[in-house]
Amino acid sequence: MALAPALAVAVTAAAALSGAATPASAARPVAAHAAVVPLVVYSAQGYDKAETQAFSKQFHIPVELDDNSTGPLLTQIEASKNNPKWGLLWVDGATAFAGLDVQHLLLRGFEPKVAWNSLGKRAVPADKSYVPTGVTLAGAMAYNAAKVPNPPTTWSQLLSPTWKGQVGTNDPSQSGPTYPFVAGMMSYLHGVSQGERFFSKLKANGLLVNPTNGPTLAALGSGQINIALVQSSAAIGAAMSDKSLKVRYLNPVTILPSAIGIDAKASKQEQLEAEQFASYVLSPAGQKVMQGGDPTGDSLYYPVLDGVAPLKALPSLSGVSTQNINPYVWGPKENMVNSWFDQNIVQ
Amino acid sequence: MTRLAQLGRPLLWLSIVLLILAPCACFLVLAVSPRLFDQGSQWFTLSYLRGVFTGASATALLNSIWVACAAAGIGLVVGFPIAWLVGRTDLPGRRFVAAGMWFVLLLPSWLPSLGWQRLVQPDGVMYRVGLDWPFVTHAIMGPFGVVLLLGLRSVPFTYLAVSVALAGLGQELEDAARTHGATRTGALRLVAPILAPAITSALAICFAEAVSDFGVASTLAYASHFPLATYQLYADINGFPPSFSGAAAVGWLLVASVAVPLALQARALRGRSYAVLSGRTRPVARRPLARQAKVLAVGFVSGFYLVALGVPGFGAVSASLLADFGASFHVTFVNYQKVFASSGLSGPLERSLVYGAITASVTVVGGFVFATMLAKKRTKSTKLLDFLLLASVALPGVVFAAGYIFAYNLPVLSRIGIDIYQTVTLLVLGYVASSLPTNARVLVGAVSQVQRSLHEAARAHGASGAGAWVRGVFPILSRPLTMAWLLTFTGIFLELPISQLLYAPGSPPLSVAIQDNLGNYHFGTGMAQAVVAVVIALVTVALVLGGYRLLAPVGWRRMGGGTRG
Repeated sequence: MALAPALAVAVTAAAALSGAATPASAARPVAAHAAVVPLVVYSAQGYDKAETQAFSKQFHIPVELDDNSTGPLLTQIEASKNNPKWGLLWVDGATAFAGLDVQHLLLRGFEPKVAWNSLGKRAVPADKSYVPTGVTLAGAMAYNAAKVPNPPTTWSQLLSPTWKGQVGTNDPSQSGPTYPFVAGMMSYLHGVSQGERFFSKLKANGLLVNPTNGPTLAALGSGQINIALVQSSAAIGAAMSDKSLKVRYLNPVTILPSAIGIDAKASKQEQLEAEQFASYVLSPAGQKVMQGGDPTGDSLYYPVLDGVAPLKALPSLSGVSTQNINPYVWGPKENMVNSWFDQNIVQ
Repeated sequence: MTRLAQLGRPLLWLSIVLLILAPCACFLVLAVSPRLFDQGSQWFTLSYLRGVFTGASATALLNSIWVACAAAGIGLVVGFPIAWLVGRTDLPGRRFVAAGMWFVLLLPSWLPSLGWQRLVQPDGVMYRVGLDWPFVTHAIMGPFGVVLLLGLRSVPFTYLAVSVALAGLGQELEDAARTHGATRTGALRLVAPILAPAITSALAICFAEAVSDFGVASTLAYASHFPLATYQLYADINGFPPSFSGAAAVGWLLVASVAVPLALQARALRGRSYAVLSGRTRPVARRPLARQAKVLAVGFVSGFYLVALGVPGFGAVSASLLADFGASFHVTFVNYQKVFASSGLSGPLERSLVYGAITASVTVVGGFVFATMLAKKRTKSTKLLDFLLLASVALPGVVFAAGYIFAYNLPVLSRIGIDIYQTVTLLVLGYVASSLPTNARVLVGAVSQVQRSLHEAARAHGASGAGAWVRGVFPILSRPLTMAWLLTFTGIFLELPISQLLYAPGSPPLSVAIQDNLGNYHFGTGMAQAVVAVVIALVTVALVLGGYRLLAPVGWRRMGGGTRG
């Protein structure tokens, strides 16, 4: 039995030295004397099973995967925060990570040494408490091209009578990626109250609110609505299976990074393994697994690294104005904004 | 009192404390002391409890209470006649009724809800086939639809409780009434009060199940802008950061709400004995229905199944057969091909089958013991037990799950080597704790009818204590116990909230795997998985009931044969 950890350390060291599998990285090498412990990964990503299996296979570090929606994962972390059992969290949305960071639940100061592209540079937090691994867009517009030959081109056009009763989106209380969309609109319109006015007008124009991406896209498919404002990966995935659907981004569209955070209270060994995992995810091998693990779902992301191209199904971002919201400003407002949305837009 | 009994009672209460009270208390105490579990800065506050009585929380709570009352009423009005028709008449096709009830029970409540939505929503299937009936849309997508769905879900609980009680109620009472000149209605009027334990038990369990339901609350009620308390509680927990204290405050009121049906039940049963089941109980003679009555009865029962199963079945199956998010009526089996091609399905399926079987077996034993205590003379401790069990039914599964994290993931427990959070052990304990109250409540109707003389007669004939029970009492209760086992098994097989928060990483149960697909945009695949899972659960039910029919002695089936498989 003692052979397995020793072998794992040897393989890890060899892989790190070769530089082929792990790029230049700030991940500290797993100490030669330390026994490998299972890395507990909390993840809501569609490609997480493929990625953790590939990581385990390459580095011989056992991974225990808690594959869940973002909500239950964050509930588990908050409920167990005086005795945490997780090692690494991998979900969409910087606001959730900022919320954990201000509670000192995340390990700070770790950044893999990789060549970030412009999307990646904008997503790395100042205190390096989480690591972006890809980017999707919040509030992408999926529409039925057969019924909507001339879709709206600005956010304000959605308020016109032309689109009355034709627009749908998700409830930010139930759909993790929707809060960044709502917060992004508020940020773009220069304030919470201005954003509230926008969504109130959208509601007055017949906005349909469903809990999550699935039902909203189902409503688009069934013809109940003709325009769905959802996460870009969901919209593009739907368009891949339903050829009558098209995807367009209205300016500005809000960046929604997927990211990895490491438990500040995990053992040193598990933190090292988590860093190793984050570095692997951002390696060419890891990116390949990410793009192949869920090709009609979460794999439809925009890479954050130079030299990694997005999948062909993704529309080009050239000419699209993207915006980042400050997660440390908008994270603390999440409950307040969601409550307002539930009481005034959903009800 | 024997030494075993002296030891058994404290052990029983200890298990209640550890399994149910401690986790629930750990969660509910957060309503007044968030600091206790590091969820805020206040050691004592009443602000969260005050908050429940204002605004959206108060509206949701009020809605939940009146909807649960109405649902329990529908459960009784529909479930009682069906149980009577199946147990006492020659209703054609009655053998399929019990199986159908199990089908209704094993469907997770969100599935019928989505089925109805799919049918009646604007531009839904109803409109596509040319039925332009907006009044139906308005009716279903509103309080009426919510009450209807929860009421339909209550029917099997009433049916099970009443049919078991009817089976224990031999023919002699009705014969005596008829001999003394009573009409059929008169005979029914005589018998109905004797069924009071089953009826009140059914009403109480229906209320508690309806008030704690989350499937309908998060789908049809949510889409209809009709907030219910469980959704409010979920929103508090699922928000970020989660407000466990706000959720706990709603939990307190849900627990308090079950005091109403319990008080009514206590009032109805006060000081009376309902033990009618003895070794001399005679089997029932089925009354032939007149032709017109037969048509009406078949129409009534068929109508129930059409509404309870036909519509949601259509919704789920149609969603699983459309690959393009429902844009057309083009049918494809691609989702099923994905399900069967996926290597990731067999593991969760096997796990859920095993978890369901273990939980059901443990729960039936515990449920029987609790039901026996509740059926005995009412004392302060049995009244307390009754309240605790029903109150815990009223708490949604997510409360149990979060409570289990707070109670069993304390740093002090880790320091002494008890580290069971995120292990299969804690998950199964959570399943047992959440199933036990319902199970006990379902069994109490049957157990309260067993006369003590049965046990005493067996003892008088030389049987040991356990032997007397096995040979004298168990045969009569074998069918209700089998049904209770199936009820728990099917409930756990697709259970979601507890599974999500407590499953051991790397070993997801079936519901988590399905939710993973539904949440990751693979809506059709997830629905196909759900349909396959329901079929597997149904096959399991058929195997168990078929096994009982084949293996149980004829006498067992005759004595306990109120419900047909």
